[in-house]
Amino acid sequence: MLEIKNLHASVEGGREILKGVSLSVKPGEVHAIMGPNGSGKSTLAGILAGRPGYTITQGAVTYQGQDLLAMSPEDRARAGIFLAFQYPVEIPGVNNMYFLRMALNAIHRAKGEPELDAGQFLKTVRAKLKLLEIEDDLLQRAVNVGFSGGEKKRNEIFQMAMLEPRLAILDETDSGLDIDALRLVSNGINKLRAPDRSVVMITHYQRLLDYVAPDFVHVLSEGRIVRSGDKSLAAELEKTGYVGVGA
Amino acid sequence: MAVKTEAAPYLEAFRPDASEPAWLADARRKALAAFGERGFPTRREEAWRFTSLRPLADKSFKPGRGKLELKSAALPNGVWFASMARTLAERPEIARRAINESDLAGGQPFASLNAALFGDGFVFALDEGVTLDDPMEIVHSAAEGSINLRNLIVLAPNSRATVVETYRGKGAYWTNTVTSVSVGASASLTHVKVQDEGSEAIHFGMVRATLAPLAAYRNFGLTLGANLSRQDVQVAHGDGSNADVSGAYLQRGDQDTTTAVVIDHAAPNATTHELFKGVLDDRAHGAFLGTIRVREGAQKTDAKQTSRALLLGDRASVDTKPELEILADDVKCAHGAAVGDLDPAMLFYLRARGIGENEARRMLIEAFVLDAIEAVEQPELRNHLASLVHDWLEAGR
Repeated sequence: MLEIKNLHASVEGGREILKGVSLSVKPGEVHAIMGPNGSGKSTLAGILAGRPGYTITQGAVTYQGQDLLAMSPEDRARAGIFLAFQYPVEIPGVNNMYFLRMALNAIHRAKGEPELDAGQFLKTVRAKLKLLEIEDDLLQRAVNVGFSGGEKKRNEIFQMAMLEPRLAILDETDSGLDIDALRLVSNGINKLRAPDRSVVMITHYQRLLDYVAPDFVHVLSEGRIVRSGDKSLAAELEKTGYVGVGA
Repeated sequence: MAVKTEAAPYLEAFRPDASEPAWLADARRKALAAFGERGFPTRREEAWRFTSLRPLADKSFKPGRGKLELKSAALPNGVWFASMARTLAERPEIARRAINESDLAGGQPFASLNAALFGDGFVFALDEGVTLDDPMEIVHSAAEGSINLRNLIVLAPNSRATVVETYRGKGAYWTNTVTSVSVGASASLTHVKVQDEGSEAIHFGMVRATLAPLAAYRNFGLTLGANLSRQDVQVAHGDGSNADVSGAYLQRGDQDTTTAVVIDHAAPNATTHELFKGVLDDRAHGAFLGTIRVREGAQKTDAKQTSRALLLGDRASVDTKPELEILADDVKCAHGAAVGDLDPAMLFYLRARGIGENEARRMLIEAFVLDAIEAVEQPELRNHLASLVHDWLEAGR
């Protein structure tokens, strides 16, 4: 599904952030990437989704056999990559429903599937809302405008449910959530787990992993993966901290 | 008296009409003399600093004639809605209010020229207490020559109405409109103008509005067309009156447009809200001049002016000049101006959801402009303006 090989990247015109990251994600797997602040977690997420502002200096990323780094952000999304933003962007004047319908139809078109009319779209929206047990009060507002921190994260997971990605990259989706919101968001992620859908969770804390059990845990430190293991690595981290695992 | 070279052809084209009332013939002669002496404004004048009149000076327009259509639902008693020509013939006492001293003085040369040469226009007058829900629509189409339109809107106290003007055409012509607006005590007027002139056209529009105590005036201008255009809106407040003067200008190619708003707070307790959004692509140029004058004694004035522009083309440019002149001490006045490109974070967010770059840009530009259109209260009218903006964006694909 996703193959990252010796990836080196720097901020455009700036210092090197990723210094040789390698990672292999197979269909259906859930990987957690943990690490202290400044270790390059969000840079990695941004690069996978095609966020501008980075220079790749070495290495390669293939996604379903394609050169991911050569694809535009929209082509990556159409090919099934979804980034849940750490800081979802507020877009005044663009209605959330309209935005979602544009996104969904762009993805449908790319797959050669028919676009949804307003009625079909609404039906899908209702089904997903029910699945995630969330209210529809966010949908009539402008994208993320006036949303609380928790509402923004819920909206990200809702978008993920609507767009049905093959590879979901969750960038600190747990940060800033109180315990109820965390439970809600985690339930959403768990319901979207599927044999053909992979998830990369980027997090600073162990807490999300109590709700969403990963198959693999990686520790990213100073731009490199310094340890990889199963779920027990997260528990070890909890006890010893990042320093204890060599980060 | 010396006549300025650029004014001479227009003076020569003047043909007095013996059938017109004496007061009008007299006013025309005075206005023409004032224009002849004054000539075109130059860029040395502050109000015209950002407006190049070269496209106008390069041509000499012969008198032209456009097609003026007036549309409305069935009207109750107490409403006069007719062409200026018909109003002059049947209700000259109303028509007379369309001309004022400043036309004869020459301080606004194109208004003077308009007073001297106007052939038609529309007149809308509402008696006290009459309220109309459906908009009065005026559509003007032009093809050639110079066309001077003199319009008049008079709302008596406690009346309420909506007026929508649309200007369009095809070919190289010059439309020059002057609209006098009077909103009576506690009356309410929504006044929308769509400037969608042909791409070779020149369009000048001037609105002079006088607000009585507690009057409400909403003016919204959507500027899409013309090669060179200028919209002047001048509002004189009454005690406790409320003005919302907003608009959007969308220009591409080598279009050039200026919006100049002057709000005069001579009476206390009045409020002003201004929000202008500009979208400039290719080599287009836009200018916004916004003056808010708060005179001595105009206490409790509350005025806010915002002007924002998006520069999409590498060679697009905008000039913004806010000006607050405040002579009263108990007032709230604020202004803000910003020029920029689309927000890259918003663009990436949309693209990361599969929306193509061009589509994402169009969505953001549309949202940027719709923010100003919110100033229009009627949903149908808002939708109409939004669809014009949408079409403009689609045309640039």
